[in-house]
Amino acid sequence: MRSRRLSPPAALAAALGAALLAGCALPVSVGGDELACRAGDDGEPASGVVLMAQAVPTASWVPCLDAVPLGWHLSDVEVRDGSGGFWLDSDRDGVRAIEARLTASCDTRGATEIPSDRAGLRRLERVTEVRPQYVGTRFYVFDGGCLAMSFRLSGDYRAEPLAVATESIDVVRRADVEAHVHEDSGGRLDLDPAAAEDGGP
Amino acid sequence: MASLPQAPLEAAHPRPGVRPAPPAIAHVRRRRRPSGEPPPLPRHLNASGKWWLGSSAVVVLLWGVGAVTGSIALVDLVDTRVLQAISEVRSPGLTRVAEIAGGLATPAGVQAVWLVNMVVLVAFRRWRHLLVWLGVVLLVTNLADAAATTLQRPRAYEVEILGPWSGFAMPSVPMTVLTAFLVSTLYALVPAGRWRTVGKWVVVGVLAGTAASRLYLAQDHPTDVLAGVVLGVATPLAAFRLLTPTEVYPVRYARGRPAHLDVTGTRGEAIVRALQDQLGLVATEVTPFGLAGSGGSTPLRITVADPGRSEGESCVFGKLYAATHLHSDRWFKLGRTLLYGRLEDEKPYHSVRRLVQYEDYVLRMLWDAGLPVPQPMGIVEITPEREYLLVTEFLAGAREIGEAEVDDAVVDQGLSVVRRMWEIGVAHRDVKPANVLVRDGTLFLIDSAFAEVRPSPWRQAVDLANMMLVLALRTDAERVYRRARRQFSDEEIAEAFAATRGLTMPSQLRRMLRQQGRDLHAEFLRLLPYRLPPVRIQRWSWRRVGLTAVTLLCLVLASGFVLDLIVRSPL
Repeated sequence: MRSRRLSPPAALAAALGAALLAGCALPVSVGGDELACRAGDDGEPASGVVLMAQAVPTASWVPCLDAVPLGWHLSDVEVRDGSGGFWLDSDRDGVRAIEARLTASCDTRGATEIPSDRAGLRRLERVTEVRPQYVGTRFYVFDGGCLAMSFRLSGDYRAEPLAVATESIDVVRRADVEAHVHEDSGGRLDLDPAAAEDGGP
Repeated sequence: MASLPQAPLEAAHPRPGVRPAPPAIAHVRRRRRPSGEPPPLPRHLNASGKWWLGSSAVVVLLWGVGAVTGSIALVDLVDTRVLQAISEVRSPGLTRVAEIAGGLATPAGVQAVWLVNMVVLVAFRRWRHLLVWLGVVLLVTNLADAAATTLQRPRAYEVEILGPWSGFAMPSVPMTVLTAFLVSTLYALVPAGRWRTVGKWVVVGVLAGTAASRLYLAQDHPTDVLAGVVLGVATPLAAFRLLTPTEVYPVRYARGRPAHLDVTGTRGEAIVRALQDQLGLVATEVTPFGLAGSGGSTPLRITVADPGRSEGESCVFGKLYAATHLHSDRWFKLGRTLLYGRLEDEKPYHSVRRLVQYEDYVLRMLWDAGLPVPQPMGIVEITPEREYLLVTEFLAGAREIGEAEVDDAVVDQGLSVVRRMWEIGVAHRDVKPANVLVRDGTLFLIDSAFAEVRPSPWRQAVDLANMMLVLALRTDAERVYRRARRQFSDEEIAEAFAATRGLTMPSQLRRMLRQQGRDLHAEFLRLLPYRLPPVRIQRWSWRRVGLTAVTLLCLVLASGFVLDLIVRSPL
């Protein structure tokens, strides 16, 4: 799962959605379906979120995507054993302006812990460079995993991309992903092997 | 333009020497192929190819059903139970074995397979196989990647995955790519026949081992592996069988030009059958003949049953043309257009049928004009639109002029051949020692493949200079020049040598001139009473500029793609 492009119907829906909402609400582009926190009519995590959970079997939280503001779009997704990540491109802040990556652990040396905006997750910030571009990493550390959001912003307004990271990149509980898999298989299959369930998060 | 005094021209329209009548060849009744009957050498995809393509269609159909209904719960359940059963036998020792067995389906493994193929194909200059290989790589990797992204099947549930993995599960991209690479290797590197049959079993063994390893390590579901193998077999199988059929592009490691086709086996039988049905000639033997002098076709000596003769048989000459020759002709003309500009001013052929029809037409035109060329006997269709045989009289006992006795009579015949071609408005364009034969004091001109009707005056002038150089190879420049002045004016000879220099001479002629260590061109120039300025052949046009730009762009893109494949694994 490397590159990802909008399918024609999705692109059409994106265009229509953008046109309808323009001027009366925060413009939202449709994208990142495979990483949607709430996909389909049931609002269940998308397949990419399940895959992300499989990539880091210890992680108690799994990153996903809520609606992404206009001007931002999911460019690449890379999920493999041990880590899962994705990149967001911005019209103003450049290609791969934000990278979100889930791993079992993070090196948070030099990062400062600040009050977290998400219950159950510790938040740390590390700023590497402010000018000419903003380079920094935000960590969410939790049981069995770590979500690192790396920023490389070339635009002048840093507040917006940082807000995107807060609003659009969300997390779901592993338990919710497990419940989804269980339900989707008609109650016959579970996400993790029995042994992992016993000793896992 | 003033002309220096010279000997009066001989007859206004000199004719080449008396052309001996061709020997009579026994014919039998011809037979029309009825509608629905396959041609002598039908083009087909083997049964196994159809089976694999059918299987691919089924896989794609099942994917479609799964994608539309959004539910593959039953498949998930069965796959999971199979993987759970396999995981029951896991042990540290077996895990180590499985990790080694799965080594080929890793980025480094498939890259090694690809690099070996590329090196061998480049070393043996099997460009078409290499192009098909690259096409298969592009198609299969993108197809597998796109299918996996579209289907979005997660990895195995309820089983611990022991090996490395990447991306969605269906189809198994490593198995798809590895299968495609191994099958491509079979068709690009292994000669057809016993070796390829053995190779198929080796590939089956390797794939079975790799699949078992990936299932043991739970990297793939069983159905992911199955879909990957089907896709990985069908794509290269169809591509290689259709684009590099063994009959036309055989894989072989013996010396010989790739343009020469194998005329044994099914093709040999097809030629014999086609000759009898279409020309009424009962061929008893078909053998390659004079391959060294031919790069654009496969020349054949065909022995024909002839009860009327004491020896019971006679011979005809055949030139076998296939799609490979057509492609060579296109590349040849493109190359010359890019390199030499005005030197190449004609369009490539679009079908083998047209190419053969044109050569047959020109040969008949030369024959009708009384020129000493082999008698045209017709065209034989071997595979419609792909393979044709041009049949002519066989000049038994004729020798290349470079090995024959050349006297004034032969020199005169050679020159009058050019004069006659000028009269009827034809240029041969490939006057070289291999195409000028002598038998019993009679000169013959063969191989009208490059001939052109109503050519430019420049091309006609080049024919004269090349003929004079060929004739001088076995005599000397002064003698040929003296004889030439009996049929051509000083202006015409001066124009010929102004038009002719290195590039415009056939490579065989240039090579023989070098071997003799004589600068015949300079000797002729010294004999001329005056010289004309060289005819400029490097002429730029928008077409040439565009072609050059597009070719360079394609080369850069292709190089980038190949370089990318060399340094980066397709996985």
